[in-house]
Amino acid sequence: MDNEPLRRYAEKIERFYMSSKRMPSYSEMLKLFGVRSKNAVFKKVRAMIDQGILEKDQKGKLVPLAVARPLRLLGLVRAGFPSPAEEELQDIMSLDEYLISNPQATFLLKVEGDSMVDAGIQPGDLVLIQKNLAPKPGDIVVARVDNEWTLKYFDKAKGNVVLRAGNKKYPEIMPRQELVIAGVVIANVRKYR
Amino acid sequence: MNLLTLSSYPQAIAHIDCDAFFASCEQARDAGLKGRPVVTGKERGIIACASYEAKARGVSRGIRLGDAKKLCPDLVILPSDYETYSIYSERMFSIIRRFTPLVEEYSIDEAFLDLTGLRRLYRASYEEIAKSIKEAVIAELDITVSVGLSLSKTLAKLCSKENKPNGFMAMPGYRIHEYLKTMPLERVCGFGPNTVALLNKYGIKAVLDYIDRPVQFAEKALGKIGVELWRELRGESVYKVSDEKKEKYLSISKTKTFVPASRDRDTVKARLMRNLESACIKLRRHKLSARTITVYLRQQDFSGRGMEANLNRHSQATLDFVPIAAGIFERLFSSDKYYRATGVILSDITDQGIDRHDLFDDPVRIEKLADISSAMDRINSAYGKHTVHIAAAGLVDRESSHPRSELPWRKTGLLPGETARKHIGIPLMKIRV
Repeated sequence: MDNEPLRRYAEKIERFYMSSKRMPSYSEMLKLFGVRSKNAVFKKVRAMIDQGILEKDQKGKLVPLAVARPLRLLGLVRAGFPSPAEEELQDIMSLDEYLISNPQATFLLKVEGDSMVDAGIQPGDLVLIQKNLAPKPGDIVVARVDNEWTLKYFDKAKGNVVLRAGNKKYPEIMPRQELVIAGVVIANVRKYR
Repeated sequence: MNLLTLSSYPQAIAHIDCDAFFASCEQARDAGLKGRPVVTGKERGIIACASYEAKARGVSRGIRLGDAKKLCPDLVILPSDYETYSIYSERMFSIIRRFTPLVEEYSIDEAFLDLTGLRRLYRASYEEIAKSIKEAVIAELDITVSVGLSLSKTLAKLCSKENKPNGFMAMPGYRIHEYLKTMPLERVCGFGPNTVALLNKYGIKAVLDYIDRPVQFAEKALGKIGVELWRELRGESVYKVSDEKKEKYLSISKTKTFVPASRDRDTVKARLMRNLESACIKLRRHKLSARTITVYLRQQDFSGRGMEANLNRHSQATLDFVPIAAGIFERLFSSDKYYRATGVILSDITDQGIDRHDLFDDPVRIEKLADISSAMDRINSAYGKHTVHIAAAGLVDRESSHPRSELPWRKTGLLPGETARKHIGIPLMKIRV
């Protein structure tokens, strides 16, 4: 089923919860969701309860179980002492979050050549590159020199850019005319099975 | 005319419009295509989007590939890769949302933003904020956008069209009258050729002439919409930026062009039925029901014929519409003509699951049809779209619809671990390193 709209509503509740330290009332949710009828709010709330995003306590008041960022909230809202297990959960990140810091500017690239084998990047590997980073010496970059794209270490010598291959077979390159950097390599992914 | 307002931005609305979006995405992920004439739409035989380099050579949207190739022999023709375009689109909207929460996704490549009140937060003018959004999109996605900033959606859209591609134009309140003095009427979104012709008869040539007239004139000549546009063009924000995701559908349509054109009855009918199935699947996914169905067939020479019919009640079951679509098809189809596209539009849509049966309906049968549809949806969600389908649509699968060269690049070489139905949601660069 498509949970996208529901997630957006959950995010709105979360924002409210974070800023005012309490759950919104139904009439506040009316405004929050931008809908006209309370019935619509009830339906969305019921769906969120079904999905385990919200919960109703004995008095029928809403309790956030996992509002948009499930793990962070767990230890915060339950009454009583949080269990150690729950506290551990607070700091979990997904592999995506671990590898990627700016999701909008990150792209995949499949490596074909052997210019970086000594750096541990082999043909067939998938590298993650970020577009909006200024390269620093020591970074691995995707660069275009003389109309050829290549993976190289970025370095500077006497103020000039030097591109070094991670493979003794290839010489250093000192780009003379044009140098285009398509992005900086931030991670390398190799799947074995 | 006099100044409309002394203030700069009583409210600040921006319109962001991607430049040649599909072609730009292709050029962003394949740097080798930068600066070259690129078009998408190979699988349809017609150009869906042309890069600015192609436009400069006279190639534009809607013309046939063969004709385009004559205009521009070195044209790069690519099949559409909607998966990649959607990722770029989603990314663009998330970049914009980092700056302001009030963003309307107007289309896959267009956004309206309400920036009102953000000056203090960013300690910057509205122009500077709009420019930094534009720069962020360019830096992170490597596609260009054109940005218009003004006091209403209509004015903002007017501005974004002004300096395309990679344009920026801001129209503060106290300069509206200057800019609109020479602005031709047809630039305004909402003024079609007929409206322009009508206004010309009243001696109105430029937009300023229109808003110079009293509001009663707008009302008399163009009615309610005329008044709304009159106010919007004077810098009043009538159409609000709405951050609600488009959840309301007035109609659902599915059209597909196929090559080569065909005059085989069963083939064309299978295409039509497949469109009908897809439309009904979308209907059910959004929990909607429709009552009116329109079927049309388009011939090779782009002329088309269509016909419309009503059910006696709302429905979302594919099998309710099949006999009607088949009936219309028989009346439209003639075997001496070649067809290149079929289409289905479902309209008169409601989100109430009303089940009023009339006297001659068979409620048990209606229930069963609904059960069949939901069973089909469950099977297809587990095993792939159209795994179970109505028999008349089966021919579509047998004649493999696209030769390999017309498949988008992202579908031809899967990454390890990817399946035909599930790809990593990160654009894959098309550079050989």
